[in-house]
Amino acid sequence: MIANAYELIVNILTAIGIYEPVYGFFQSFGLEYLLRIIIVVVEIVVLLVFVLLSVMFLSWLERKMFGWVQSRYGPMVTGPHGLFQPIADGIKLVGKEDIIPASADRWIFTLAPFIIFVPALLVFVPLPFGDTLILSDLRMGLIYIIAISALSPVSILLAGWASNNKYSLMGAMRAVAQDISYTIPLALAAIAVVLYVGSLSTVDIVRAQEGTWFGIIPRWFIFMQPLAFILFLIASIAEMGRIPFDFQESEQELVAGFFTEYSGMKFAMYFLGEYAHLFAVSGVVVTIFLGGWTGPVLSPIPVQITSLVYFIIKTYAVILFAMWLRDTVPRVRIDQLLNLGWKIMIPLALLNLLVTSFLLTARVI
Amino acid sequence: MAWISKNWAMTGIIKGFIVTLKHIFHIGNRPIVTVQYPYEKMKLAPRFRGRHSVDQDACIGCGICESNCPNGTIRIVKYNGRWFPEFNLGMCLFCGLCMDACPMNAIKMDGGYELADYSRESLVYGPDRILFKKEVNK
Repeated sequence: MIANAYELIVNILTAIGIYEPVYGFFQSFGLEYLLRIIIVVVEIVVLLVFVLLSVMFLSWLERKMFGWVQSRYGPMVTGPHGLFQPIADGIKLVGKEDIIPASADRWIFTLAPFIIFVPALLVFVPLPFGDTLILSDLRMGLIYIIAISALSPVSILLAGWASNNKYSLMGAMRAVAQDISYTIPLALAAIAVVLYVGSLSTVDIVRAQEGTWFGIIPRWFIFMQPLAFILFLIASIAEMGRIPFDFQESEQELVAGFFTEYSGMKFAMYFLGEYAHLFAVSGVVVTIFLGGWTGPVLSPIPVQITSLVYFIIKTYAVILFAMWLRDTVPRVRIDQLLNLGWKIMIPLALLNLLVTSFLLTARVI
Repeated sequence: MAWISKNWAMTGIIKGFIVTLKHIFHIGNRPIVTVQYPYEKMKLAPRFRGRHSVDQDACIGCGICESNCPNGTIRIVKYNGRWFPEFNLGMCLFCGLCMDACPMNAIKMDGGYELADYSRESLVYGPDRILFKKEVNK
């Protein structure tokens, strides 16, 4: 039984016949752990490249879709239909002057953009991209994901404070207030699913969604927990700080929020972090509510490939929904945001949790 | 249904979703209206006022355009032994009063709109750049 991507790589290497001699070579020096480290580094590099390519594609897709909604073309010049626009933007941003304000806290100001990228990347560790395509199947994977995404306000507050700018600090304060209010319904909505599955492991949650009802409807938790799905989706979009809830960077009031003072490569890090976060959160939504990598098995093709394709299709569906939402609705007011979070979403999540636990205790579902 | 659509705040959001979806797939009369400017140019309105051009046969060098110009854009200069207006487009506001005041209808404003330049001097359009000869219909 293969549990994660590490064992998958070892199995593939063994099947080709490379693993044994290489392992023997490392063993002759007494350095077996070096081989393990190399395999893990390869995994991380593959994941990083995949995430960065996705992020570049997403930034193109977002601009393109925004253009279509507004009867525009979107980027068209660089490459076919502007597909290489993110590369051009990246080159431009690297070439820009790296400005640090005179009264800023230099160390924190420099570190904050990199700290913000870390939670968005760490979420990918227990995220199953496909059958066995998972870096590490943590036993408390879901709690890990929620805890890691609750880390991002720290870096936002660091950036806002270190900039020594009133707009940055106000944006950061808003972001923190928003993230804290919306982490609670996020966790409560996810716990309803966890109650049903009986495990916090993301792989177990996906496995519980295999199969269908009546041969047609897939056993996804979106059909079993529709209210939890809606709450989780709204809370994740609010946690990302995307447009209906983008108080941290509301342009009309706060210039650009917590990254007002950033330029060049540091600004690009925020940009990358935002889209990596979008991809990660969509992946989490797919894993918990949309059946993860489950789907019809096509026997001649390896299950790893089909499951990866299913996962990516579902993730992009969620991402496209988030972009569609961004193109459609205006920003809510800050009091509406907090009212929605504390007065509507948390009671609804608690109610959902109550009903779910009651039904589970009564063994109805 | 009417009660729901009247009293439920989500209706507007859902309607908005449908509208943006129609825009994304260009359903109905929702084409892309912008043009890829440097590669593709918009069709100008028939009475669009661009750079001036002067009919060299009609112009009599009377200076009425010069005295009518609100910004002092026009100066009458000598060119090939005759008097013609010279336009300093850095000061011009493209109001078209010179065109209206010309007794011989010699001034046209059909010379295009891509007028950005590198120096102030090159914005002064002398008779060498604005004169045209009206083609006689045979």
